[in-house]
Parts: sequence; C-alpha cells; structure tokens
Amino acid sequence: METLLYVALFAPLVGSLFAGIYGASPKTLLTGIVTSALIFTSFVASLLLFLHLYSGGERVHVEMMDWIMAGDLNVPFGFVVDQVSVTMMLVVTLVSTVVHIYSMGYMEKDKGFNRFFSYLSAFVFSMMVLVMSDNFLGLFIGWEGVGLCSWLLIGFWYHKESATWAANEAFIMNRIADLGMLIGIFLIYWNIGSLQYDVVFANISNLDITIVTWIGIFLFIGAMGKSAQFPLHTWLADAMEGPTPVSALIHAATMVTAGVYLVIRANELFFLIPDVGYFIASLGAFVAMFAATMALVNRDIKRVIAYSTLSQLGYMFVAAGLGAYWIALFHLVTHAFFKALLFLGAGNVMHAMDDELNIMKMGGMRKVMLGTAVLMLIASVALAGIYPFAGFFSKDKILEVAFDGHHYILWGTLWITAGLTAFYSFRVVMLVFFGSERYKDFGFHPHEAHSYMLWAMAPLAVLAIVAGLFEHQFFDFVHMVLPHYEFSEHTHHMVGQLIIVTTAIAVTGIAIAVFSNMFREGLFSSAFRNNFLYKLFDNQYYIPKIYDEVFSKPYKELSEVFWKQIDMKIVDATVDGIANTLYATGEETRGMQSGNLSYMLRWMVAGLLVLLVSAVAYTYSDVLLTLLQGVAK
Amino acid sequence: MDYILSVLIFFPALAGLLGFLIDRKAVRSYVTTVATIEFILSLYLWIQFDNNQLGMQFMEQASLIPAFGIQYLLGVDGISLFIVVLSTFITLIGIISLPEDTKDLKEMLLTLLFLEMTMVGVFVTLDAILFYLFWELSLVPMLYIIGAWGGPKRVYASVKFFLYTFAGSLIMLVGMLVMAYLYFQATGVWSFSLLEWYRLQLPFDYQLWLFGAFFLGFAIKVPMFPFHTWLPYAHGQAPTVGSVILAAVLLKMGSYGFVRYSLPLYPDASVYFIVPIAILSIIMVIYTAMVAYAQKDIKQLVAYSSISHMGVVVLGTFALNPEGITGSIFLMISHGIVSGALFLLVGVIYDRRHTKMMDEFGGLASVMPRYALIFGIMMMASVGLPLTIGFVGEFLSLVGFYKVSHILTILAGTAVVVGAIYMLSAYKKAFFGTVTKDENKKLLDLNGREYATLVPLTLLVIFLGVYPKPVLEPVDNSVKAIVSLMHQKAITDEAKEVIPEINFNEEAR
Repeated sequence: METLLYVALFAPLVGSLFAGIYGASPKTLLTGIVTSALIFTSFVASLLLFLHLYSGGERVHVEMMDWIMAGDLNVPFGFVVDQVSVTMMLVVTLVSTVVHIYSMGYMEKDKGFNRFFSYLSAFVFSMMVLVMSDNFLGLFIGWEGVGLCSWLLIGFWYHKESATWAANEAFIMNRIADLGMLIGIFLIYWNIGSLQYDVVFANISNLDITIVTWIGIFLFIGAMGKSAQFPLHTWLADAMEGPTPVSALIHAATMVTAGVYLVIRANELFFLIPDVGYFIASLGAFVAMFAATMALVNRDIKRVIAYSTLSQLGYMFVAAGLGAYWIALFHLVTHAFFKALLFLGAGNVMHAMDDELNIMKMGGMRKVMLGTAVLMLIASVALAGIYPFAGFFSKDKILEVAFDGHHYILWGTLWITAGLTAFYSFRVVMLVFFGSERYKDFGFHPHEAHSYMLWAMAPLAVLAIVAGLFEHQFFDFVHMVLPHYEFSEHTHHMVGQLIIVTTAIAVTGIAIAVFSNMFREGLFSSAFRNNFLYKLFDNQYYIPKIYDEVFSKPYKELSEVFWKQIDMKIVDATVDGIANTLYATGEETRGMQSGNLSYMLRWMVAGLLVLLVSAVAYTYSDVLLTLLQGVAK
Repeated sequence: MDYILSVLIFFPALAGLLGFLIDRKAVRSYVTTVATIEFILSLYLWIQFDNNQLGMQFMEQASLIPAFGIQYLLGVDGISLFIVVLSTFITLIGIISLPEDTKDLKEMLLTLLFLEMTMVGVFVTLDAILFYLFWELSLVPMLYIIGAWGGPKRVYASVKFFLYTFAGSLIMLVGMLVMAYLYFQATGVWSFSLLEWYRLQLPFDYQLWLFGAFFLGFAIKVPMFPFHTWLPYAHGQAPTVGSVILAAVLLKMGSYGFVRYSLPLYPDASVYFIVPIAILSIIMVIYTAMVAYAQKDIKQLVAYSSISHMGVVVLGTFALNPEGITGSIFLMISHGIVSGALFLLVGVIYDRRHTKMMDEFGGLASVMPRYALIFGIMMMASVGLPLTIGFVGEFLSLVGFYKVSHILTILAGTAVVVGAIYMLSAYKKAFFGTVTKDENKKLLDLNGREYATLVPLTLLVIFLGVYPKPVLEPVDNSVKAIVSLMHQKAITDEAKEVIPEINFNEEAR
C-alpha cells in the first residue's frame, strides 16, 4: 500500500520534470503523452488505494523523512491516505487525466506546449501534497505549490500584459491569505507543540476556547484566499486569462476547493467553534448570491463560469460551516465533475471561435458543434441542479442543511441563488448554441474540436449525470472519518416539499433563460442595461476599481514617497549632513593650523583664557552652583 | 588537522601574497585553485565537525599580549561553521563569476583572497580584539573593490561604506574595552576571551549601555533601519562580485555579532530591548520592501530586498528561543545564497546590456529562457516558497517570534506579502511582456561560466529547501547551548521568563 501511495504522489512530479527537460525545446507530443500517462498511473494508484479503503482496509500513513527540525518543532514529510484524502486524490487525478489528454488537443498549436505540461503536472503534484499531507505545514507546502503553479499557468501566455497582471494579482492576493494561515499554524504550534493532524486534533479540545476560535479564524482566512471568498475573490475572475484547461483544472475543480478541503480536514477544530462556523456559512451564502448576480450579466463565457465557481464554493462553505462536512465534500466532488466539463466545453467553443469570449457574438453553434453542445448542456443541467443529475443531490442536501438548522435566511439566499444559477447557466447555453448564428456577422468559421478531446470529456459527462446517485455509498465511505450530520425529524418530513420548491425555482430560472432568448436576442434590452443593478453587476460591484484606488495606487505612491522623500531626503540626508558638518568644521578650523606665528599666538591666548576660566569655575564650582540655584529661585 | 582553523584563515592570504609573483595570464587558474582548496578545507571542517557536541570545536589558543589578556583564540560551533562554509563557497563562486574582460583582473583576484581571510577570521575568532581586527580589516578589500572597480559614483559610495561602518565599529570597540575592564574588576585579570566573558554576570544597567555600544556596531553592518543608507550606494556602485560577497557574507557579520556577542553577554538587556528592536525590524521589513518596489534599477531593488530580509533575520534572533534563533541563522545562510545568486543574475544582464534599468528590458523570458528559469527559482526562494531554502529560515524566525508577540509577528509576517509584491512586479517588468527593444532581441542565454556559478547555487536552494536537516541540526544544537546559557545568566525575572529553559535530548549530551 505504501508503494501505491508513493506512486500516486510522485508520478505527476516525474512527469513534470520529464516535460520540464524539454521545456525550451520545440513541441514534442511525447511530453503530452508521457505526462498524461503518468497522471493516469497516479489515478490508478489512487483508485487502488480507494478500493483498499472501501473494502474496509486501514488508512495508509507514511513518514517519508524529516523536514524541519528546530527547537521543539519537528515537521516530517508525512502522508496519509484516509477516506477524505483518497476522495480528493481521486477527484484530482481523474480531472487531471482528462484535462491532460484534452490539453494535447487544445494546446497543439502553442509553442509552449512542453512547458505547459510541465507546469500542469507540477500543479497536480502540489495538489496531491496538499491533500495527502499528514500535518499542517505539509499542507502549506502544497498550498503554496499550487499557488506557484497557478501563477505560472495564469501567466502562461506571458507576452500578454493582462495575463501576467492577473497572475501576479492571484499570487499576491493568495499570499495575503497565506499570512493568515501561517499565523494559524504558529498558534497551533505554540499551543499544542506539534503540527501533526493526529496530535493536534487529539488535543484541540483541551485548549481554551478563545485560542481555538483564533486558530479557526486564521485558518479560515487562509481558506478564503485559495477559495476566493469575499473580499479576496477578485483574482479568480481575472485568472481566466490562463489557458482554458487550466481554468477547468485549477480554477474550478481542484485548487479553489482547497479552502473547503481545509475546513473539512480540520472539522474537529471547527466543530468546537460553531460561531465561526456560522460566520463561514453566512459568508458562503453571501458569496453564493453575490457571485451569481455577477454571472447573470457578464458577456464573457469564461467569466460567467468563473463566477459560477465562486458561487458554488459559497454553497460548499455553507455546508462546511454548518457542520455538514460530508455534504460539503460531496458537493465538492460533483461540482468538480460538472464544472470541469463546463469549462472544457467552453474551451472548445473558444477554440472554434478563435479565442473569442463574448457570448453575444456566438449563437446557433449547435449546428457545427453538436458534441460540445450536448456535453455543455449536460454540465449546465447538472449545475442547475435538475434531477437526476449530480448537482441536484449535492446542492439539495446543502439547502436541507440550512433549513434544518433553522437558518432560514441562509436557506432563502441559497434558494434564490439556485434560481439565478439555473438562469445564468442556460443563458450561456442559449446564447452560444441556440438562436441565430450571430457569429457569421463577425466572420468566424467555427468547427468542432478533435474527437479525442470530446471522448476525453466523456467520463466527466457520465459522472456529471450519475455521480449523485452514489450519495449513500459516498456517505457510508466518508463518515468513517467525518462526523455524521443528523437531520431532525422536522426536516425529514419536509424533504419532499423542499425538493419541489428548489426544483421549481431552478426550472423557472431555466424557463426564463430559454423563453427570453427565444423571443428576443440577448435577454437584456438596452433600457435594462442602463438599470442601476445591471451596471452594478456588470462592473463587479466596482470592487476591482475600489481595490485599485484604495490599495494598489496608494501603495505605489507611498512607496515612491518612502524612497524619494523619506529614505533619500531624510534618512540619508541626515547621515550625509552629519558627515558634511564634520567635514565643514574641519575645513573651517583648518585655518588655525596655518603655521603663521602671530595667528597661532592669538589662538594660544584664547586657549589659555578658556583654561583659566574653567580652572576657576572648577575650583569655585560649589559657590557657583549655589549662586545659580539662587538665581533660579 | 589540529590547526585547520588557522589554515582556513591564513591560507588564502598567504597564497594571495604569493600570487603577486604569478604571471598575469596564469593568475586566474592559480587563484581559482586556491579558492577551491579553501572551500574543500571548509567542507572537511564540516565533515569533521561533531554534531552532538554543544560547545566550541577545533579550538586553538595562544597568548598574544598576556598583560591585557589578548589571545589568539579560535573555535567553531554549529553557528559559525556554516557561515564559514558559506564564505569560502561564495568567494569561490565570486572568483569563477569574474568575466574575462575585467580590468586589472589579477589585482581583483588577489583582493578577493585577502577578503576571504578577513571573512573567515571574523567568524572563527573567539577573542574580541582579534574579532575587531578582522572585522575592520574586512573593510579594506571591500573599499578597494568598490572604489577601484565600481561605477561612476564609486568613490562616494566606497567612502560612505567605509566611514559609516567604521564609525559604528569604533563604538563597539569602546564597548569591548569596557567589557575587558569589567572582567578585570570582577576577576583581577584582563581578558578579551569571549568564552570567559560568557561567564560574567553583569548588573542590569551595565548591560544596557554595553548592549547599546555593540548594537551600534552590529546594526550598521546588518544594516538596520535607519542606518541602512550606505548599502544601496555600495551595491549600486560595486561590481557584481563585490555585491555578491557584500550581500552574502559581509552583512552576516552584523547578525552573527548579535548571536555571538549581544545575546549571551547581555541576556537581560536583550530581553529589555526586544520590542524596540522588533519595531526597527518591522520597519526594515515593510518600509524597505516598499522602497524596493519603487526602484527602477533592478540592482537597487535587490539591495533593498536584502535589507528587508535582514529584518526577518534580526527579528528571529531576538525571539530569544531556539526556534527563532536557529531560523535566523538558517535565514542568514539562505539569504547569503539567494541574494548572492540574485546579484550574479543582475550581473548577467548588466554584462550584456550595460544597464540595470528594468524599463530597458521586458520579454526576456522569450529570449533567455534558461536565465529566466533560474531567476524565477531564485525569486521564489527570495519570496520564501516552501521547498526552497528561503522558506525554512523565514518560517522558523517568524514562528519563534510569535512566542514573544502576536501583533508584532503579524506585522513582520507581511514580509511574505510585500516581498511577493516587489519581486513579482520586477519579474513581470523584466521578463514578461513582449520584447520592445531591438537590443534585447538577440541577447544570448547563459554561457558556460554563468552556468558554473548559478547551477550550484540553484541546486543548493532546492536541496536545502527540501532537506535542511544537515544544516539545521548542528545549528540548533549550538543555539540551544546559547539559549540555555542565557537562561542561566539572566538576572531579571522578565528575562528568566522570556528565555526558555532548554531540555537537551539525550543524544546531544
């Protein structure tokens, strides 16, 4: 079993290094094939580990070697495969395999082909470290590793200013959150003395509740960065500058769910602090709706899907925050399938349209790319949460949890969002695949993607349809390490009604999207576009502008002031001033040493006088002091 | 090899003297050989070093001026061991990196050998006067390197460098004399031996003054805010090799001084000054990182980034617990390697374009991909990415200081953010985008000499990032010895509380 663990973990690294050797060489298909094969190997190993655990096997735990040892701190490279990590491993390696194979087609004309596969596999390796580590610092390695790969891949087309800008934004914004995570790790270390999950979770309940609360808050700040929760969300939409397979793998299925994974992994910690959990859930619900509103009006196909990801992450945090960890994980899994599928479909569309992203310039494309249309339709139905697609099961469970805890506001928010989700998903589908062929006006000649790219997407499509049906098996599997969430009797009776209500709003959303597009091109009339809300959504609530004005620009200006005004004009000028004063004094008094006799005699007299006065003063110092004190009185 | 430390100090200097006789054409291979032997000797020292022994090893002792207790006293422990290895390694790398067309190559090479002597000397002497001697001597070759091979404002920069650090160390010398006098008062004999000074328990107010005197000497060298302004000038004007050695080794003299002198001699004063020093360190971290962000000259940017990183080093030292001090020493070594490499990398592009302005570049990643790759790795190490050498020291320093103060550590922790801001935006300016200047279109990627210097550094950055244990273990043992000494010596209750008691594990005894 240990060998399997190492294979699952290191196969992607080997692939990445192999492709890296060819990094600067011209495209060789070999790199794509080898990395894909190695990721698939990793998938198979993960699958075997899964079967081992599923058949009731013990969790696999290895300590490979020491890493950081100083003072009382002892952090090894340790890896653990239990029910939670193996679930993540399966999702990561499965989606990665699909994306690797797909990318061979998607990137076929790119001169950075080899480099791309090197980065992509390096990402998979980092993600595996993240989910398999048995301690917080090992998780942090993966955490930063995926951040690095995300930076490399968002800025993959580094000649584009917007791409490199977005890459830096993502990295820096994540770093802000990572600082929070580091502080959380420091707190754990100084209060428990270890960073191993086993030790930490065994002792966490002995700690003072204030400290546990702080640990929870700081760890969650870390999670907010990776999972792009408000107010650290702006990077995710900008990250769409990267190649689309990257968006599918990193910015939809895997990396952005790392924050959710962290909360699930640390469930024993968050279980103790329900107030923080409630905050997480509330923020999640807020982000779900907030992001969905931005998705409603955006005309960029990738950005719509990115906002949708943001919104779905919000759903996951609601479940995780309310203590339904297994449901959060379940939604994470199903979402990974249908969202990756949706992105890859969008990639096909983009390819067909020569990298055009504006959905207003598309339309009627089902006629030329039926396969993609069907796949994207499946993904959209799953996203909208229609029975029996995967999204229905997981999303509905989250709504039930919110309802069950009597958090009716959260429930209401998520309920409305479910309607918005259905609407914006089908708005995209309608505008891209149905209606009149507007692309002809713009001179595009769309074509279907390679058939092997479509076949690569097929497993995701199948899973997007059926994954939800395995809800009970999934629950039985993960509840060995995750706490059981008990629904109250009340909710049990209401389940039927809840499902009907939720499905109703989803269907309504779809219906509005479909009918409005049938009768009128676009949905939003020009009058509507001048509406305040429309403008607010379209400009992303003006948040990027505010950040620019409030943080970026002042930081730059302040830096200039620090350098030119303070460092040069005050600090350095003081130093030079002292030196110059000394120098000038020397220059001035140099005259004394002129060697001119009469001049020197005069100085001698002056010196004698000074000496005399001081001698007298010293002798009568007592008298003088009394005199001075008398004067002072 | 009983006298290995003496050999390490004087071999390069003697070889340097002999070098004057060597023919101009042959001198390069001669000096390279000398530096290689010196480096191998320092590795031998490491191999022979006993990790489990806590105190000084390879001690040498001879009386120089018995009347004043001035001795020739040498020794290494885990703390100095790696800085010595770093010094010989960086000197070798610096010598290899010198381009063939350097003017007066022979003189430069021999100067580097003398500089090597002073560097090794500073880190292995345990006698204060000898330490001071090497400390001041190290200024001379560096003054020469900046003043003779530097840029247009080289004279201003070198004189500023010399006078500023000299002024600081004079105050330190006064402190040393007072220490010796206090030792005389307490025991009746004069001594400048650091090991004997360690046994002296000083009253609190004496500690404060003496701490202050040493602090000025060390703080200017580090350099700490607000004594840092000599550094950007020195780096801005120095030739590449000068900057490499200055950043990699010479700055470490200051932070080494804190660990070797300030902490164990004045434990109570160290505790007393934690907060003011931490505030200065935080200013170094944030303020200089912002100044670095405003730079247009990439070399100045790296220079300011050095100051920012040294802020974390000082902070870790003044955590006064094993985690923090071990971290700060590891960070000294990693900063030595990373900043050395970054200055070499800046040198690479300067040799090709004769400019250091970032606006002049852009899109270099497509013309010089291998250069961009190594620069990228070094940048990530500088930013402190896990599994690079930069993370270990930064993490340990901050973790250590967290024990002392939450708020101050959060402020200092912004290092991970502000560091990323200036580094990534500089990288973007120089390497990303399209090639706009014609001069940049035909730039050659790294050549053999540049590979020979950069590849070893890159491998080290990754190796010690993944497996820091060979360095951390000896450092940690010696640090524990110092912390336990401080705990024993501390007289105030506050210091007893802040400085932890060490439970040595069985092996270390």
